[in-house]
Amino acid sequence: MEKGRRHMGIELNRRHFLSAAASVAGLAAAAPLLSACSGSASQTSTVNTASGLQAALPAYVPSTALKPDFPSMAGGPDVMTDPGFLSYPANPVTTVSGVPGRGGSYTAVTPLWGTVPTAGNSFYEAMNKALGVTLTMKPADGNNYNTIVPTMTAARQLPDWINLPSWWNSNFNVGELAGSQLADLTPYLAGDKIKKYPNLAAIPSAAWRVGAWGDKLYGIPCFSSGFVVAGGTFYRRDILESKGITADQVRSAEDLMSLGKELTDAKRGVWAFGDVWTYMFGAWNLPFKWAIDNGKLVNKYELPAFLDALDWHYKLATSGYMHPDTLAGDNANSGTRFYAGKELIQGGGMGAWVLADYQSGVAANPNYRRGAFNVITADGKGTPRTSMGASSSMISYLNANLKPAQIEELLSVANYLAAPYGSAEYTMANFGVEGVHYTRQNGVPTFTDEGKKNVQATTFPFLASPRSVISNPGGDVVTKDYTAWQTANVKSLTKPVFWNMNISMPQWAATADAGQAVEDTIKDCYHGKKKVSDVQAAIASWKSSGGDRLTQWMTDNVLNKYGTGQ
Amino acid sequence: MTTTSVGRPRLSWLVRLRRDRSLLLMTVPAVALLVVFNYVPLFGLLTAFQDYDPLVGVWHSDWVGLDQFRQLLGDPLFWESTVNTLYLSFVQLVLFFPIPIALALLLNSVLSERLRNFVQSVVYLPHFFSWVLAITVFQQMLGGAGVLNQFLRTHDIGTWDIMTNPHTFALLVTSQAIWKEAGWSIIVFLAALAAINTDLYEAAAADGAGRWRRLWHITLPGLRGVIVLMLVLRLGNALSVGFEQFLIQRDAVGHDTADVLDTFSFYYGIATGNYSYGAAAGLFKSIISLLLIWGANRLAHAFGEDGLYRR
Repeated sequence: MEKGRRHMGIELNRRHFLSAAASVAGLAAAAPLLSACSGSASQTSTVNTASGLQAALPAYVPSTALKPDFPSMAGGPDVMTDPGFLSYPANPVTTVSGVPGRGGSYTAVTPLWGTVPTAGNSFYEAMNKALGVTLTMKPADGNNYNTIVPTMTAARQLPDWINLPSWWNSNFNVGELAGSQLADLTPYLAGDKIKKYPNLAAIPSAAWRVGAWGDKLYGIPCFSSGFVVAGGTFYRRDILESKGITADQVRSAEDLMSLGKELTDAKRGVWAFGDVWTYMFGAWNLPFKWAIDNGKLVNKYELPAFLDALDWHYKLATSGYMHPDTLAGDNANSGTRFYAGKELIQGGGMGAWVLADYQSGVAANPNYRRGAFNVITADGKGTPRTSMGASSSMISYLNANLKPAQIEELLSVANYLAAPYGSAEYTMANFGVEGVHYTRQNGVPTFTDEGKKNVQATTFPFLASPRSVISNPGGDVVTKDYTAWQTANVKSLTKPVFWNMNISMPQWAATADAGQAVEDTIKDCYHGKKKVSDVQAAIASWKSSGGDRLTQWMTDNVLNKYGTGQ
Repeated sequence: MTTTSVGRPRLSWLVRLRRDRSLLLMTVPAVALLVVFNYVPLFGLLTAFQDYDPLVGVWHSDWVGLDQFRQLLGDPLFWESTVNTLYLSFVQLVLFFPIPIALALLLNSVLSERLRNFVQSVVYLPHFFSWVLAITVFQQMLGGAGVLNQFLRTHDIGTWDIMTNPHTFALLVTSQAIWKEAGWSIIVFLAALAAINTDLYEAAAADGAGRWRRLWHITLPGLRGVIVLMLVLRLGNALSVGFEQFLIQRDAVGHDTADVLDTFSFYYGIATGNYSYGAAAGLFKSIISLLLIWGANRLAHAFGEDGLYRR
């Protein structure tokens, strides 16, 4: 959901920042920094070690409940494509027998980006009946979630079940909460124990790491995926193919540049390119942030290839192949330009490749088809690589005050909620009751007014949900194209330095890490307003005003203590 | 604004309170708003002297004294945005400030009331547009893919990249400000014009004074108080040239051209979680603004004008 979102780790207890631990848990690549834990108490408790964590991780037993149209395909370790489904199953299979709960009463808090459904609505009631518990859902505004949760933790009044998005790990100090206020799930889920909860066992092991602290399991990963990338370079497939251009013809940065010449027709108001930097610079074999060069930690700013990448983008911007509105920094209308065929190639998050995009595009042009270029290397030689993000960034936790029997009851509920895509339980948790909350239209579950009011705003899946699938009922071409793209690129995904490690740093380091002045100059450079030498100057000033100190700090406090996480 | 006149015994505080109570009551909501949204947040200025951490709050954040300010004054980007702010402010003062006065004089000389109201409504309207909308209109008209440049392009004439040219950025933003705000700013001048005694014009005309003489000897002196007041306010706000306008166009011309003090606080303070740094930049700006407004007011008094208040 919020994959690829940038955020800033804020050191929680600055006095003890030197003990800040890097801990194996979610989101490293896509998010520059996240927290782990800080504070002396957490120093020993929240660090994960490779061997210790391995013992705690649950077994992975893939679900066979439903056969996808496009099965998941493995890439490297912990990498696999999301399975694709063309249609929604007509007769959802049941994966949980009986009612999971035993009548307990619990409260749950989840972030919600949307309108909060009324308490005690018909959907909540139906879910309680299906789950066999009284689960009082208290969705809280996602935009202010980072300020809502600390008041609960400060008063030690967490609900029984809560979702803590990993990009706020540092705000919430999850590393420390894991030792005190959040329940240790290791005794219930480690290794083969998870097989008692087959739907939870169908969540790949890698995803469980994002909720692991101090070699113990605390969090239940939601919306997990084995294919997490920051984004890709999209193109108007319908338009390019009408000119006889296919994606496999683009193998290098030079190929792309010549596309710029071929596709730009300024007189007709058509330009080849929008912004591509964020998802393209990796082609110069650059990491998102850090690399190991001759055993030493190096920031991407200091790699020679970084200047090559900038140089190419500067040329692109000054060549006249980029849309003038893009150069003017108008991002808000980039989608409109793409739909209108005024801008044919643009970078973006993979969240763009969905049914809603297809519907918007087709509304503008019936032939609309989104495509993405494969991951390339700039010179067209060698193996293309792209950095992999963490497997999940939405983690739910149980309260440490719960009794073992209560934890088991809630894990059974989680098992229900994690039922695979298309199952009866999944349909219930995501669409509600047929005839009340949704009806089938051409086989596709479609919300009724009651459903729109109370079910559409996602609540239960923030407590537990199955691994992500690609499914766009009514837009088969999207599912086919996206699954094909994932399959073609799954081998390119590589774990970046500090993968799955959450790093909490003091404010000065976070400031240096954000490198705002450098990033600003980079943006001016790929918009053709600043030369590469200006960026070099900005980098030099960044190095002396905190950058070098940051690299040293990362080396001493993260690399030398906990390794690269790869 | 005292109402006691010479020779009358000064009323006691209680009597005056009773006499003015309905007026005082009417000001309560406005004062409450001011207290809640302008004075209470002043408390947050404390963070400028701290290494503020939102999680532990103001009470438990570490005190660092003047560290933030020391860092700020050594930051070249801060000085860059200060210079930008002052430069833009100067350009706006020279180019923008006279326009509403001229517009007000012009409108005042239009005899047809219908026409005057119509023109006035038209020039008012852009004030109610947000900056996002205003800049979008500019981008659609003058942008690289806008109406003008597409026309030039189709006729094989070179394009005019005014929207992305850092060298003419000050002129661009001033024209945008004129387009959007000039109509609104004339209100106060029109009010001042309406207050000028028309007998004076008639008498002057009878004495044979022409249009220009009447303007010079009656209209402008009549407007002087208001003009000086607006000038004082403008000078006091010299370090506030706007925020959204620059935020939106920052990527179009580059950060070193478009960054003003307010966007500096935002990007290098708030956006990177460096709240104390942003607060320090904001406080620094406020102190300079206070000095400026104080100085301008003194100057107004020296010239025998009221300035912000009557001495």
